[in-house]
Order: sequence, then C-alpha cells, then structure tokens
Amino acid sequence: MRLELVGKPEGCKLLRMTIDVEPPLVPSSRIRSLSIRGDFFAVPEEAFDELEHKLEGTTLEELGKKFDGLVRQNGLECLGITGSGLDEIIQKELHNGI
Amino acid sequence: MAYEFRLLETGFHRAAFNMGLDEALLRSVAEGRSLPTLRFYGWAPPAVSIGYFQGLHEEVDAAACKTAGIDVVRRITGGGAVFHHHEVTYSIVLPLSHPLARPNILDSYRLLLGGIIEGLSILGIEAEFAPINDIIAGGKKISGNAQTRKLGCLLQHGTIILDVDVDRMFTVLKVPQEKTRGKLIEDIKSRVTSIKHCLPQSESMSFETLYATTIQSLKKGFAKALNLALVSSVPTEAELQLAEQLAQEKFSSQTWITLR
Repeated sequence: MRLELVGKPEGCKLLRMTIDVEPPLVPSSRIRSLSIRGDFFAVPEEAFDELEHKLEGTTLEELGKKFDGLVRQNGLECLGITGSGLDEIIQKELHNGI
Repeated sequence: MAYEFRLLETGFHRAAFNMGLDEALLRSVAEGRSLPTLRFYGWAPPAVSIGYFQGLHEEVDAAACKTAGIDVVRRITGGGAVFHHHEVTYSIVLPLSHPLARPNILDSYRLLLGGIIEGLSILGIEAEFAPINDIIAGGKKISGNAQTRKLGCLLQHGTIILDVDVDRMFTVLKVPQEKTRGKLIEDIKSRVTSIKHCLPQSESMSFETLYATTIQSLKKGFAKALNLALVSSVPTEAELQLAEQLAQEKFSSQTWITLR
C-alpha cells in the first residue's frame, strides 16, 4: 500500500513523503520504497538520494532513528529535516489509520 | 587586507542559463581558474525555480507556466520554490578553504547574508537574518537564500525582492491541499515584503532604476560586511561555454526538471 504524507513538524520545513509499505498499516510495517521531498536542505544532495535507498527495508517505527543514523554515517548536513520530524508525520498517519 | 573577489553583473537571462552559469562558476572556482566570485543577475522571461528536493508537480503548475511564458528550472540547491520576477538575484562562490567559508552551513548563511543586510541598510532598510535561510525587514521576508557545497566550494544564491505580485505568483505555484488559495495569498501577503514596500520613495522608480540602485547598495554592503575588494569582470569564455552546455544538457532537460 502507498502512503502520501505531508507535514511541517516543529523545527522542520514542509516535508512530503511517498512510502510503499507492506500491509497492514502498523508500526512494524516494512518500507518497500520511499521518496522524501520538500523545501529542506541536505548537503551533499547526492548523498541524500543514496540515504533514501538505504531506508528501504526498515520499519515505519524505526524510520526516524535510522534516518538520523544514516545522516551521521554519511556525513550529511541537514537543515529543516530531522528523524523526529519524519516520525511525527508517520505517527499521525498511523494514529489516523489504525 | 581585503579579500579579492571577482564581481560579475551578467544581466537578464533564461532560467536554465542562469543556473548553468552559477554551476559553471562553481566549477571554475573549484578548479582554481577563477577568483572567488560575486554575481548579480536577473531573469528574462520570469521564472519559477524549485529546490533540489522538491517534487515539480507538487509545487508548480507547469502548464500554467508554459501558457504564461514562464521558465521552470530545478536548482542544485535545496530550499523552496521561488517565483523570479521583480528581484535582484545574486550568487557567491568561494572555496571551502577560504576564511569566509564557515564549516557549518547555518554559520555560513549568517556570515554571508551580512552582505545583503548591510546592503539593505545602505538603502535605508533595517533587516536581520531569520534562520534558516531568510532575511526579514519589519518582521517580513525580503530575501530568500539557498546554499550548497560541491567540489570543495561553497555556492550560495538568493533573491532580494524588489516588488512582489503574490496574486500572479500563485497562478503558477501550487497551493498546498490543506489551504485555500485566498487564505494562502493573504498569508503570503502578510509575511513577505519588498524594497518597494519598505522604501516609499522607490514607488516612483522604474524597475530598471530600482534594480540598478539595489545592486549598487548590495555591492557596497558585501564589500563592507565581508571585507571584499571587488574586481569588476565578465565571465570567461570557458565559463560561458560551460554555462550554455549545462543550460541545454542539464537544466533544460526533463530528466533534471522532473527529478522528483
């Protein structure tokens, strides 16, 4: 199933996510693919493209933590996007969906 | 001792060329073939640029742009969608080893935007840095900026708003689903200002005069705030050729424009 999510969590710019997950929609659903878009900054930009691919296979509930870990590992500097911001948007969807 | 910077005033160009030239300058400075560079420019026809991470069709009504003759381009920098019409645009390129390049991006914004804040002050507008990437005057946005780092260099570009037509802007920019068009337009009008609005004496100025006056002040502002010795110049033949090539092969390509 596909989730189209939009949010502007505290401290973040407008974030949009398209996430394909294995049903049913629960916190432990695995992400098949995802795209993160918005008016945030991430330098180097190309490393962010790679980071998105590395998030495939993780679960919805682990997304934010994994995102922050990959940002550190890949030496990315991000402004206007955080793992907790992504989690907040997903939590809202899970709350609505369950 | 002042830092020697090349000063380019490249006039008005299509969006793809403008972005091509910014990238060509980045590469030229990275290869040590040009001095650190400060460039001022404009857009003809008007254009919409979107941030590297934005989805084209979520932000821009591409069909409306085509009908209205407005260019659409994706930047190599992050940040939001911008309608480029009545504004001065600048770019600044310097090696990361330069004393004016701070390791931290937010610190770099704060330092480099000092040039614009000083330039606005010379014009008679009190403005301040509003993190992450804006400058505000009277609590409203007057300048938006974006920065990237590639090939050992820092590129920052941004706009200084001379005049703003929010109604026209939202004939080509999409309105987020959760907002009504009228509400959004009112929101933006309450949050964005312009040099024309801040300086009542500029009301009677033509766009050309206001553009030139603003650039004069910004040159002085950058020179003072960043301790620059500006050397007026023109882009090299190699830079212009690369800019044309990038404009055609990258910035005009649907693959790039629809990347996200």
